[in-house]
Amino acid sequence: MSRMEDISTFNAVREAGLAKLLPDVPRVTVGMGTCGRGNGAEGVYHALAEANDRAGGLLASVGCFGPCSEEPLVGVWIPGSPLVILRRVQQGDAERILADALDGRIPPDLAWCKVEEWDHLTAQIKYGHGYPELPSWHEVPFFAGQKKIVLRNCGFIDPEDIEEYVAVGGYQALYKVLIDNQPACVIEQIKAARLRGRGGAGFSTGIKWDYLAKATADAKYIICNADEGDPGAYMNRNEIESDPHSLLEGMIIGGFVMGASLGIIYVRAEYPVAVHRLTHAIEQAREYGLLGDNVLGRGFHFDIEMVEGAGAFVCGEETALIASLEGLAGRPRPRPPFPAQRGLWGRPTNINNVETWCNIAPIVVKGAGWFTQTGSAKSAGTKVFSLVGKVQNTGLVEMPLGTPIKTFVYDIGGGGAGGKSIKSVQTGGPSGGCIPQEMFDTPVDYETLAQLGSIMGSGGMVVMDEDNCMVDVARYFVEFTHSESCGKCVPCRVGLDQALDILNSFTEGTGSLAQLELLGELGRMVRDTSLCGLGQTAPNPVLTTMRHFRHEFEDHILGRRCNAGVCTQLALSPCENSCPLHMNVPRYLQLLKEGRMEDAFISVLLDNPLPASTGRVCQHPCEDRCRRQTVDEAVNMREVHRFIADSVLGSEQWGPVMDRIQARKLASTGQRIAITGAGPAGLTAAFYLALLGHDVTVFESRQEPGGMLRYALPEYRLPKAVLAREIEGIRCVGMRFECGKKVGADLGLDEIEGQFDAVFLSIGTWQEAAAPVAGAELKGVRAAVPFLETIARGEPVALGRRVAVIGGGNAAIDSARTAVRLGAETTVVYRRERKDMPAIAEETAEAEREGVRFLFLAAPHRIVGDPRGNVKGLEIMKTRLGEFDKSGRQKPVATGEITRFDCDSVILAVGESVDLEFGRLSGLGLSPSGTIVADRFTLETSRSNVFAGGDVVSGASNVTKAMAYGKRAARSMDRRLTGSDRFPALLEAFEYDQTPPPPAAGGPRRRGHERPVSVRVRGSEEVVEGLTTADAIEEAARCLRCDVRA
Amino acid sequence: MSKLKLATVWLDGCSGCHMSLLDLDEGILAVAEKADLVYGPLVDATEFPEDVDVTLVEGAVSSQEDLKRVQMIRSRTRVLVALGDCAVTSNVPSMRNSIPVGRMLQRIYIEGVDTAPGVPSDGVPVLLAQARPLHDFVAVDAHLPGCPPPPAAILAVLSDLLAGKKPSAAAVKFG
Amino acid sequence: MPQKRSIRIDGELVQVARGETILDAARAAGRTIPTLCHFDGLRNSGACRLCIVEVSGSNRLLPACTTPAEDGMAVTTSSPKLTAYRRMTIELLLAERNHLCSVCVSNGHCELQALATSIGVTSVRFRYRYPALPVDQSHERYVLDHNRCVLCSRCVRVCAELEGAHVWDFMSRGIQLRVVSDLDQPWAEALACTNCGKCVQACPTGALVEKGRAVEEMAKRCSQVAQVAMKRGAPR
Repeated sequence: MSRMEDISTFNAVREAGLAKLLPDVPRVTVGMGTCGRGNGAEGVYHALAEANDRAGGLLASVGCFGPCSEEPLVGVWIPGSPLVILRRVQQGDAERILADALDGRIPPDLAWCKVEEWDHLTAQIKYGHGYPELPSWHEVPFFAGQKKIVLRNCGFIDPEDIEEYVAVGGYQALYKVLIDNQPACVIEQIKAARLRGRGGAGFSTGIKWDYLAKATADAKYIICNADEGDPGAYMNRNEIESDPHSLLEGMIIGGFVMGASLGIIYVRAEYPVAVHRLTHAIEQAREYGLLGDNVLGRGFHFDIEMVEGAGAFVCGEETALIASLEGLAGRPRPRPPFPAQRGLWGRPTNINNVETWCNIAPIVVKGAGWFTQTGSAKSAGTKVFSLVGKVQNTGLVEMPLGTPIKTFVYDIGGGGAGGKSIKSVQTGGPSGGCIPQEMFDTPVDYETLAQLGSIMGSGGMVVMDEDNCMVDVARYFVEFTHSESCGKCVPCRVGLDQALDILNSFTEGTGSLAQLELLGELGRMVRDTSLCGLGQTAPNPVLTTMRHFRHEFEDHILGRRCNAGVCTQLALSPCENSCPLHMNVPRYLQLLKEGRMEDAFISVLLDNPLPASTGRVCQHPCEDRCRRQTVDEAVNMREVHRFIADSVLGSEQWGPVMDRIQARKLASTGQRIAITGAGPAGLTAAFYLALLGHDVTVFESRQEPGGMLRYALPEYRLPKAVLAREIEGIRCVGMRFECGKKVGADLGLDEIEGQFDAVFLSIGTWQEAAAPVAGAELKGVRAAVPFLETIARGEPVALGRRVAVIGGGNAAIDSARTAVRLGAETTVVYRRERKDMPAIAEETAEAEREGVRFLFLAAPHRIVGDPRGNVKGLEIMKTRLGEFDKSGRQKPVATGEITRFDCDSVILAVGESVDLEFGRLSGLGLSPSGTIVADRFTLETSRSNVFAGGDVVSGASNVTKAMAYGKRAARSMDRRLTGSDRFPALLEAFEYDQTPPPPAAGGPRRRGHERPVSVRVRGSEEVVEGLTTADAIEEAARCLRCDVRA
Repeated sequence: MSKLKLATVWLDGCSGCHMSLLDLDEGILAVAEKADLVYGPLVDATEFPEDVDVTLVEGAVSSQEDLKRVQMIRSRTRVLVALGDCAVTSNVPSMRNSIPVGRMLQRIYIEGVDTAPGVPSDGVPVLLAQARPLHDFVAVDAHLPGCPPPPAAILAVLSDLLAGKKPSAAAVKFG
Repeated sequence: MPQKRSIRIDGELVQVARGETILDAARAAGRTIPTLCHFDGLRNSGACRLCIVEVSGSNRLLPACTTPAEDGMAVTTSSPKLTAYRRMTIELLLAERNHLCSVCVSNGHCELQALATSIGVTSVRFRYRYPALPVDQSHERYVLDHNRCVLCSRCVRVCAELEGAHVWDFMSRGIQLRVVSDLDQPWAEALACTNCGKCVQACPTGALVEKGRAVEEMAKRCSQVAQVAMKRGAPR
């Protein structure tokens, strides 16, 4: 130890530090921040220490380098080579890491990236060159674009060793400031750097310093606010844990130029590692002559004390913090007087956030001009953010101010975890706002965020995806600020309590639109009238979610639904909530388990009038949410209701069961209802409306009812006989079919409207989307749906030997597998990757097994014809994935590389749209994409008593969603015609066991038997046979019964 | 022009508001000119008529029966007025609100009596968990606080309503 | 620096002394700005937020009681927005605790009740919380009824700043905030209490009252406390 009193003692310390940083033996470092420790860094450190006793390398613990999802991180430096960062290191790796290091090697499986030289800003450290196979650190997506100013030393030096800090240029800035002895110039420099408070409010640091410097008093104080209390934010913690001297140096410089004698660091007591390292750093600074009577031998007296906070969020507010330091309860007081006028113990006081202080030394050393090169016009420099939530890569990132949100979410964060689509980012902690995905181009700086109703805050950035309920998010943050309100002023104390009450009513399904309006008014009032920043910003999450996600509030209030499945009181179970038809899944499983086949069938049919068809072709979103997945695999709910339906339909039980359904039919209302389109939406609406006692007529343009089920789904997925039986069942509830009558052409909408009391439009989307490719006019180019329809009619299609199918949805896969059954060699061309395909994954996998070839990242460029106008081949543009689009998938971008293959037919399955001609003639309100506009909840169109649903409203979708429209339309139309909600009267109450089973009941998931590929490609038999009775019952027993609640 | 239909209703309250209504003195003549009193404790009708123009409701909503009544009344009334503090704020009936109903009944009817302890159940409406103001359950068109509201204030509100105007916010105090 | 400052209150030019607040200026101009936690002779706490005003050039609403009157300020004391916010503040207070005017000893002499009337609050759109709160009747002459307390801290300040006893303070936080005597002792056991009764006279509602008063009987003598303050030259 040596006191630093002049340039020679200073340099001695620096040399000592450098000898540790770049020793002549290998140096191994372990990231030992709280995050690293949480992931097992201590175990790794001890294992390395033990191994090192024998190996003789130099082992050090350092701070955190940022990427939390890759912890524990270990750095290995072999003299002359780059520093290599190893990730996800386990205790067991210690021996070989050291052994390899001593041999001059790096374990390739652990190596992540390398650092050849590092700019500490106050000094450059050159580690060496080599390892050409390893990416440099800034080539790793997580680091790309990051600029480390505040975090310049984090992860490189030992935070408990002042000598290493000095070795990377630490305390040089302080020395310069003391030698120059020009306090006013330093303040001018800070002003010129346009450094703004990093605690969130963004006030100019230079101006704030000027206030204190100009204040006259017997004592002046400076305070570092390290009371970081936002959930999910840990920038300050990491800054202190990894580089405490950087903070101290900033404060000592501040103390000198502002004329303060004492600095106080108010640190969160919940940060034990930070508290420990800071205490240690302050002691070391005193020992080395950086604090105390004669700082660096320049005669300046200054000391720093550390005070641990008492755990109140509001103490982050400066006047509350001062009150807390004075031993009073942490409650804010009105400003003015500002702390710079009257602060701690009535003396002029300056308060800055940790990160602000950490910016000081680099600005002093490198100058204001250098600092303002980074960042945006009004906000210079960088900001550290904690990027957390639903992104693949989480961690601390330091980015130039003004970086767009999408860079954080997609480039650094790597997009949604598990391929889910991201819907919002919440910035600024519990008092920030939620910014929707459409606004991800927004640059992150103080002004822009404020315009969007959010704040920079201390730098929390929480990413939310489709599984987050924005109403619940608002409720969660208000619950936090509500519990942290000090209670002094009325708007914050009582207003937040009332806001929480209203939000709870939404998540519990008891709220009203009037309360939503009141909540908005209350939010603005709390924002505009609260005493301190806590209350003024607490409504931000509510106001921004109300602005950008109002539809979710409406879903909760009007639909009593939480689509994300978060608000459990609005759902029976996760499967029920995610089922578009909201089938009571646990009930039919339990009834089957109890051997009550008839009851199970009635339960299923009253929820879903086409259980055998959907049992084969549904996209089964229920399974994605099934809680059984936490044990093994989701319950095979779809196959069970297929089994139930198949067992009853056409059997002896069918007649008596349908009699029971008939018996539920309500008395005739005498109201006449027309349904146009006998697809899944129309059939479903017809079924329920008939049961509700209305006189239903279904118009269908084709010769038989069934819509896409009948005409677009291939026989091997849904046998026509099965569908016919189900439609037979629906028909026997009592309705008339008029097939071969097309609305618009054969039958005007006005005409129908005149004859009926209400009309439901469910004409679907049969129009092929415009072909996006040259050569689409050639012979042998077909659209998928007409192709499938021709096959469904049993008419011949000459495809030729080789077929190319363009698209990645279910229609593409259906077409490809149908083509295989016609004996063609089939290739599916899709412009993105397999994981991005909208088709059901199992169907794609089966297609592949049946011999369908897939070309991913390939877009059609041109269809090539021969001189007679027949298809001869297909030119394909290779694509790569670029930016993320609204669906959360990356957009394919043409690379310019074109390949070609020969084929005789091309099937275009690039989507279907509404018959625009009909839309135009109907006089109904239409969306830009040509779909009919209908109220989200009532499905009413712009014409009174005309309702619409299914694909004609949503655009091409799937069977179950279309049926859900039919169900909702039936309820809404009945309510309109009768004035009361009679729908629940249709449903039957069943008594069944309500005890949840043991967690692992039922064993592994049962699957239906698959026919061998060789058999199925020769005919059109169903690919998967249904479950056997024993399997179905055992599968039903696997349900964990989420519907049973204590 | 036919006369408007006026009704009054007495829920959980002390009838003081109705007394105040009677205290209109000669003011009642002006009201009678415009409206017929078709239902309420002051008249004989047993059934709440289907289409009432103005209904004054006194008292808080304290029981299942109160709740059913206000819902029925709301569906048959054009303009619903919460008359007096109990209807507006729940006032005195709310003094039980911080005590669970079961415990309160136990204390009053079992622990609090010497002879024949027992919670009455026959012919007594089931209490709601809390007595709450009218507007917690149904939409209320005008509030007239006061315990009781002064006759002049009642007359002012009635005059406005019977003239088809929105009642001007009279300077009426709670209590 | 000029000793007098000129500011406009609702357009009217007013001269105020250095250190005076917007509230002082408004009163000098004969304007009424609603207040609740303000009490003549005590330091302002800025807690009730009723006295918020619009000041030209500021995008924030400022509390008149704590904002110094600056030369050239133009203040608006009443606007639809201010009225809506003040109304909501009163509603929030009425919903917070059990303010049953009809059975309150301060009925007719209550500042909260009077504010509700003057601001035109005829009903509360928020859910009444109906909290279960104690009544401290331990003191031989006075009663503390938490059901009527609005947490304005007038009792706390009058006791600390004028009487110098600092019997009262707050415990807990947020919606749980509550006035306590000494370290949450029954009032009778609060050793610091001098039984002077200033807190009772300073209390705007029926939370602190004299024993033996029936409904409507408790009228506060605020001005007497203010006179004491003036004689002692209490701080603003």
